[in-house]
Order: sequence, then C-alpha cells, then structure tokens
Amino acid sequence: MTTPLAAYEGIVGATVLRQLHNFGKKLSGVRVVHVNSTREGGGVAEILEWMTPLMVELGVKASWEVIHGNPRFFEITKAIHNGLQGYNVGISSKDWKIYEDTNEENLARLRPLLEEADLVFIHDPQPAHLLRLCDRRKGKWIWRAHIDISRPFRPVWKSLRPIVERYDASIFSMGEFAQPLPHPQFIVPPSIDPLSGKNRDLSPAEIEAVRSEFGLDPSRPLLVQISRFDRFKDPVGVVEAYRMVRKVSPVQLVLAGGGATDDPEGKAVLEDVMEAAGNDPDIHVLLLPPDSHTTVNALQRLATIILQKSTREGFGLTVTEGMWKGKPVIGGDVGGIRLQVVNHHTGFLVNTPEGAAHRIRYLLHHQDSIDRMGATAREFVRENFLLTRHLREYLTLMLVTLRDIKANVVNV
Amino acid sequence: MTPFEVMDCALLTRMSGLPPAFNLRELRERIAVCGENVLFHHFCETTLRGTFDNPDYRNDFAVWSKLYLGDRVLAERLGILDPYAYPSLGELRAATLEVIDERLGELTMIPWARAGDEFFFMEATTVVFDTGIRISHSRELAASIGAMTAGSVYFHFLEARRRPPIGKDDFTAWLIENHDGGKNGPYIEALSRIDFYFHSLPDLRKELATRLSGLEAAK
Repeated sequence: MTTPLAAYEGIVGATVLRQLHNFGKKLSGVRVVHVNSTREGGGVAEILEWMTPLMVELGVKASWEVIHGNPRFFEITKAIHNGLQGYNVGISSKDWKIYEDTNEENLARLRPLLEEADLVFIHDPQPAHLLRLCDRRKGKWIWRAHIDISRPFRPVWKSLRPIVERYDASIFSMGEFAQPLPHPQFIVPPSIDPLSGKNRDLSPAEIEAVRSEFGLDPSRPLLVQISRFDRFKDPVGVVEAYRMVRKVSPVQLVLAGGGATDDPEGKAVLEDVMEAAGNDPDIHVLLLPPDSHTTVNALQRLATIILQKSTREGFGLTVTEGMWKGKPVIGGDVGGIRLQVVNHHTGFLVNTPEGAAHRIRYLLHHQDSIDRMGATAREFVRENFLLTRHLREYLTLMLVTLRDIKANVVNV
Repeated sequence: MTPFEVMDCALLTRMSGLPPAFNLRELRERIAVCGENVLFHHFCETTLRGTFDNPDYRNDFAVWSKLYLGDRVLAERLGILDPYAYPSLGELRAATLEVIDERLGELTMIPWARAGDEFFFMEATTVVFDTGIRISHSRELAASIGAMTAGSVYFHFLEARRRPPIGKDDFTAWLIENHDGGKNGPYIEALSRIDFYFHSLPDLRKELATRLSGLEAAK
C-alpha cells in the first residue's frame, strides 16, 4: 500500500514536505529506473517500495524493476554479497559466467526502459553487470551499495570492481563502508518509515495484546534486543549481561528475531542462545516470522531499554527503530550504531557484556535519564533518519548528477 | 523594504578522494593538502549532516581526536576552534595545523586509531533553491525563521558568512541594507549576540526566533 507524502506532515512538518515538492519541480518528468533483485523481503525492497511512489508523487517518472534468475544465480549473488562483506567464498569463473548471462537475459527484457532512462539506480551487486551490457544507454548510471564493502574478500572485489568502476557515481550508507573508486562516491545513510508496520503508532490494546501473548510482566523492567540470531549481534553476550543485572534487579529479557529457519549458522546461534537462557522464565527467546512487524513494534514500545549489543554492524536500523519509539539504546561500539548512540544523550556504547550490564543498572536507577535520553533519541531520528531526509538526498543527488554539478555551492 | 528571499538548501556528502588518516601525523598531512571544501565540511557543515550533534565538540577533527585517538587534550584544543572567527579557510587551516603541530611536539608517541576507526575525509555540494517565500518586514522575521527548514537556517545564518559580505549572515545583511531609519538596530544587535557555532540547527532556529520575537513582545 502506498502512503502519500501528505501523510508525513504531522510527523516531519509542512516545511520539510514543501522542500521536497520544490525539489520535485526541478526534476519533473525526469525518467528514473531503480533495479534490484527482489520485490519483497529485505531492506532494499522496503526502501524501493516507498521511494518509487513518492518520487512519482513529486513528478519524477520513476519505476522499479526487478531482475529474475534461477536459484543458482541467486546462490552465486549471495556468495558475491558475502564476499563483498569480507567472507572467504569460492566463486568460479563458471559462476561469474552464470552471473553475466543472467544479467544479459534480464537486459533483453529491460533494454528499452534502461536505454531511455535519464538516471538508472542499480542496487547492490546482483544487477550491476547490466551497465556493461547496456551499450546504447543515454542517461547516468549510479551503483547503490547497501552493504559494507570496506574490507571485502579480495578475489570477489577484484572481479566486481571493473564492473562498478564504470558507473557514473556510487552511493554508500557511510564513508566507512566505501571502497576507492574513480567516480564520485556519495554518502546517503538509510532511514526508517515512521508509518510502516514496524514503526507506526500502536494503540494501547495492540501493545497489551503482545505483552500478554508473550507473558511479559508489566510491573518489571523489560530489556529488548531485536535482531537476527547471528553471532555478530552477540545474543549470548546479551544473556550474560542480563544475568549480571538479574542478580540485583528483577528484569525481564526479550531476544526476538528471525533468520534461523533457512540459515545453518542461525540455527546454531539460536541453539547457543537457548542453552544460555536455560529454563529462566524471564528470558523470552522469540523466533518470529519475517512479517511480524506489529509484534516487533510493540516489543520495542514495551521495552524499558533497547539493546543492540552487536560486535559488528552495518548501519543498525533496529537501533533507529528503537530510538524512534523514544527509548534509550545500549549498543555495541561498532558501525552505524556509533552515528546514532551518543553516551549520556541517546544511550550508551558498550564493548562487553559487563559494560552493557553496568549501563543497564545505571539506567534502571535513573528513570529521569531513561525519559530524557528516549526523548532526545526520538527527536534525533525525526531530524535525521526518517524517509523524508532519505528522499531529499536522493533528489539532491539526482539534480547534481543530471546537471553534472562540480561546484561546491550551486543555485538550481 | 526589499523583500528577503527565503532560500533553502540540501547537502550532498561525498568522499573527498583523500586516503583516510590512521594516526595524528596522517591527519596533519591530509589537512595540510585537502581542499578548502573538505575543511569547511568538517568544521561547518557538520550541523546539516545526518549524525548526532556531538554535544562536546562541533568539528569532526576534535570528535575524532577524543573518540578514536583517545587524546582529550588535543580534542579540547581543536574543539574550541571557531571557523567563523577566521577571515578565511586558509587561516583556519593554519590554526588547525598549529594546534596539531603543538600536540605532536608534546607527545612521545603518535596517537593512532584502530582499523575501522580511521578519519574519512569528506566534502559536500550544497544545492540551493528559492522557496518562493518572501519576508517583507523585520517584524515578520521571527515567525518566518521559526517556520524555516534546518536547510534555510543553515544557508542564511551560517553558510552566508562565506559569501559577500564576508562574515555576515543574510538576515543581518538584509536588515542593514534596509535600515528603516534605524529601526532595525535592535534586531541587528540581537542577532550579533548569538553564540551560534555551538548550536544544533534546531536549537539555533529556536534561539533566533525567540530572540527576535522577544523584541516584538517588548515593543
């Protein structure tokens, strides 16, 4: 379902929407095509689902195309994806041939659209090879890397680099995630949609329903970590921190996430977490289906403190979501969590279970700090990490790229 | 009065192309050769960027020195540098290098950052556009500023100081140009008393609107 821009006015204010409409006027009629590899599931599809119709509403002729491929193609692109994030993966020359051939098959279908577009955004590595094949392209092509490629597995980057360096520009979520490339590399952090199922306001009845579904005690503090069962999210470390706090305070812990069913590593981590949790009735390990948006939303709203004790992290949008619910976050001192969590202002950065336990205990003794940090966190997200800012930066980037602007300050 | 044309702007950040700095000496070397746009970004455009307005220090070099080099002495010395107090970015650069050189002379070991904590040199393009909104009298200024985007506040009150008349914000320049028989004096005075560099943009907007509306209320 498409949410019109006007629906965000009550959240971001009329001036922000007016700014977007002003940008829209400058880009009216510009043909933009986004290409990625899936229509649903995953952060990229979630972004394109709102961004494309909002661009259209602002007057841009935007469309969203998805490449198709057989399971083998997606196994290979998953390996490329993992390789770019630094995992040691084996991709043979035959695999690269399948990657290229699948891109070629998709180009046959998408060629007219891609050739005529003024701007083409290619999201992540799966469709990246389209550029090499689309030799009669007229517009500018931009590669959008949604992942951290700062320390890639070198053989994978060595194969992909000649493909992506031909683009007119690239976009990364943080400077720390980028690789040197011979074209402009723009920085556009991700965002959350405050009206999506994961973030919309919930009625007290909806929140209470989730509280009673999982048997959470309303009279005791609740710690919540929402994330995949992945070692880098350190769920076992969260249980350790909980145990240290539990000795002195009757807290409850929810560890909720998905990703274990089709992921052997996820299953192993989940087993480790279950073992660490033992039969403690105050530790709730919840394996949620991917569409549990309202449940996740309600758990974050029920939380006294949000945890995201990652030891490695991309941008960390679960932190943003928790902050949007007006909660302080105790997060790992890594990746994009550092951009969001500032000690004593929006939460605390920690490096160990001990550090997390210390900060939890501090906050439980200072309800005023919980309230103040939560309010600061929500305003910080409102100013910086809602989709309206994200959309504005894309529109700015489109103007700068289309007009080939080199100046530092430009009037449009 | 000539109407005040309200502009808005958006920032598009990009990598500068300079290699990241792993230690204080590399930071010094890169600052010495970086473009003025890079320097301006890390000192001034931080307010318009999607990161938390660091409550301790306003510029990125000071924040990095504190958080990742662990050098609080250097952070304090860099943190107090007010870029708008220097007549040019060249002089700001010289002052920054002076602070770093002084610190390098005091240390027996060069402080370094862990892998992943390097300093990344950025710059930005500021895209400016006319909002179509006009302010026709000084008494409308407070309400108009209160309704501006952070981009407008940044452009007219901070970025303006880079443009002629150098060192003046657009509101003050407009009030001087349309002196209105001296009636704008209190507004100009009120604007000049704001210690703006350490404000976030939402706080600055609030302070501008409060100070100016206070003048209206006092009439």
